[in-house]
Amino acid sequence: MRRRVVITGLGPVSSIGTGVDAFADGLAKGMSGISPISSFDASGFPYRMAGEVPGFAPDELVHRLKIEEWGRSSLFAAAAGRLAVEDAGLDPEQLAGTSAGSCIGTTAGEASAIERLTEHEVESGFESWRAELATQVPSSRLAAAVNRELGLTGEAVTISTACSASNYALGYAYAAIASGDADHMIAGGAEGVYRWAHAGFYRLGAMAERHCSPFDRDREGMLTGEGGAALFLESLDSAERRGARVYAEVLGYGINCDAGHMVAPDSASIAECMRLAHKSAGITADQVDYICAHGTGTPANDAAETLAVREVFGDTPPPISSVKSMLGHTMGAASGFGAIACALGIARGFIPPTINFRTLDPDMPGIDPVPNEARPARLRVVQNNGFAFGGNNAITILGEVA
Amino acid sequence: MSQARPAAPSATLAADGVYITGWGVVSPLGIGADDFGAALAEERDALTDVTGMFEEKLPSPQAFALPDFRARDHLGRKGTRFFDRATALALVACDRALADTALTVTDTNRGKVGLVLGTTSGSVKSTSDFSRDTITQQRPYLVNPVLFPNAVMNCAAGQAAIWYGLKGVNTTLAAGRLAGITALRYASRGLSWGDADALLVGAVEEFSPHNAWLTHATGSSAPVGEGAAVFVLERGEALLSSGRRPDAELLAVASAYADPTAPAEFTEAFAACVRQALHKAEVDPADLWAVAPSSADPVETGALDAAGAGARHLPVTRLLGECRAAQGALQLAAVLAHHRRGTAPEGGPALITSFTPEGTIGAAVVRGWSR
Repeated sequence: MRRRVVITGLGPVSSIGTGVDAFADGLAKGMSGISPISSFDASGFPYRMAGEVPGFAPDELVHRLKIEEWGRSSLFAAAAGRLAVEDAGLDPEQLAGTSAGSCIGTTAGEASAIERLTEHEVESGFESWRAELATQVPSSRLAAAVNRELGLTGEAVTISTACSASNYALGYAYAAIASGDADHMIAGGAEGVYRWAHAGFYRLGAMAERHCSPFDRDREGMLTGEGGAALFLESLDSAERRGARVYAEVLGYGINCDAGHMVAPDSASIAECMRLAHKSAGITADQVDYICAHGTGTPANDAAETLAVREVFGDTPPPISSVKSMLGHTMGAASGFGAIACALGIARGFIPPTINFRTLDPDMPGIDPVPNEARPARLRVVQNNGFAFGGNNAITILGEVA
Repeated sequence: MSQARPAAPSATLAADGVYITGWGVVSPLGIGADDFGAALAEERDALTDVTGMFEEKLPSPQAFALPDFRARDHLGRKGTRFFDRATALALVACDRALADTALTVTDTNRGKVGLVLGTTSGSVKSTSDFSRDTITQQRPYLVNPVLFPNAVMNCAAGQAAIWYGLKGVNTTLAAGRLAGITALRYASRGLSWGDADALLVGAVEEFSPHNAWLTHATGSSAPVGEGAAVFVLERGEALLSSGRRPDAELLAVASAYADPTAPAEFTEAFAACVRQALHKAEVDPADLWAVAPSSADPVETGALDAAGAGARHLPVTRLLGECRAAQGALQLAAVLAHHRRGTAPEGGPALITSFTPEGTIGAAVVRGWSR
């Protein structure tokens, strides 16, 4: 007997707003979170924009962790987790006494610590490495930070399947509750912006100079971004018992691997992942009212993603928008932000837009990218796409509680 | 050899049980189950001179490493040139595991065959080298794009999927020393849940100047190690329909979290996790023939004592060094090596435990056979 699982709390720490209302407002208004990079010295790069979280103040969001002991990604995760629990309206003391844990996705974990250590090595050699930074390197610290911050005693799992990791985490947390292994889970992802990732994407020719314009004929590419995204999950029974506000139900997920190329996406494999997700959720493609795209804005992604969508949904697929047009590509947190956008869309009756949009790519006929302005809509079933380096595809399906 | 009591001389397979049907290991003790098992039985000292391995300076001239290991010697020259060390170690462990199981990956089943691989932070050397180029090159963007995927933690799992055509679930778990147990737990759920029909499950850690200096910087004097171990996991129904014999049944995996800055409470939470795993496995701690702990740390020894798990401790860490993510997988490999060599009681249950300085805790219970 599988328990039904619902989302009752949201914790976004993002470039367009921190906390559920600010983030929802940003989505509804089509805000851009892109700004000149301040996390590292970007002066040597031709392109210098990213989706950083302005004025991230962990000490205002995190209550228990000693800020100086944790890296930026861990603090994003802990802050997002804390916000999600507050939003769920559950007494934190009570939560800590239950079977509760966390599952956090990331691409690079505390790579900002590795980056700083590398600077020290270049300047003064390996002998200059100190425990304070060295202890921050293990990526398992992201989920551990959430558990420590909230006093959770269940499992703390960090999934590092690159840019679809949050969807893996959401799927894992859903299965943990559905199977009865846990009663409450915090699922999501966290990521910083890193000079090396900026360099890598730029060098691949995948990066835009100023704007991320998915599905647009004249798009340039992606921009990196950062933040923390957390969703609070519990069983439907538990939510009903305590009279909790329910944003959405987690209906299922699909995970597969291209097993073909480390970087280039494979539309047939992505289409198969969509079918797996639909089957897991017990739905058919025609029931999907909205697709929250992986939508990085690179020609390779957009072509593969829309081809897969047309293969599965036919010539008139449901609206498909990319929140990365607003947030940039927050990598390991990206499908977490996508899931939060989906949950908000279902609960508040709107589709977030693809901003920076002018002209539909003629190679993508039939695609409705919800250009520039949010659209009121009743969303019964939504699909949240996440793809990654390594061919790691993960798709989650959320729906209204019926 | 302790005389264990359980009466399960041959495997009675349950259709919904999760079984290990083959395994592979890469370690300074040996590559492949046979060499590894033989060296383990001799308690061979695998600490070796590593001064010739890298151009960079090392904090210690010795480590539990494989100085002569080259991907091309095992996988061929073609396509292996840009593999980092962690990827190469993981692929060779997968190679040995696939050679050791009767499972074959074909176009019919490859969509339901996947990989679950544990790590600490991927190849820190790859990430750091890539980052280094943004500092030392004439322009910060003059990095080598071919090496970009190596800097990301899921590189080894993605490359293994390509190499062996594994199109099913492909998951990388960042869990440090708990990686082996975390991967077993993830895989067990995935198989029970129907996400996959067979999973290669394991963990990897490379030896590098970076990992050696990270360990050194945290004040540890323990020699660091490297290695990988990969196990093939399938549901019992696959064995029942084919008449195959398993190496072991995965009876239970439990994991928990506690604040590591409070040692007494941490030890109690660790003991509770061990008890939970044994309870789920329906195994009396007195029936365990072996315990493979991740360390000789008082919190782990204390937890095992509190849970009544006083069976023979296998000396994994002493023989293999501090292998971080690979540790837990090598602990399981040590248990299975005894079964393979016939030096463990048939059907006898064993316990594997681990924890990290971050506060994650795990325990797994298996029972094995000589096959």
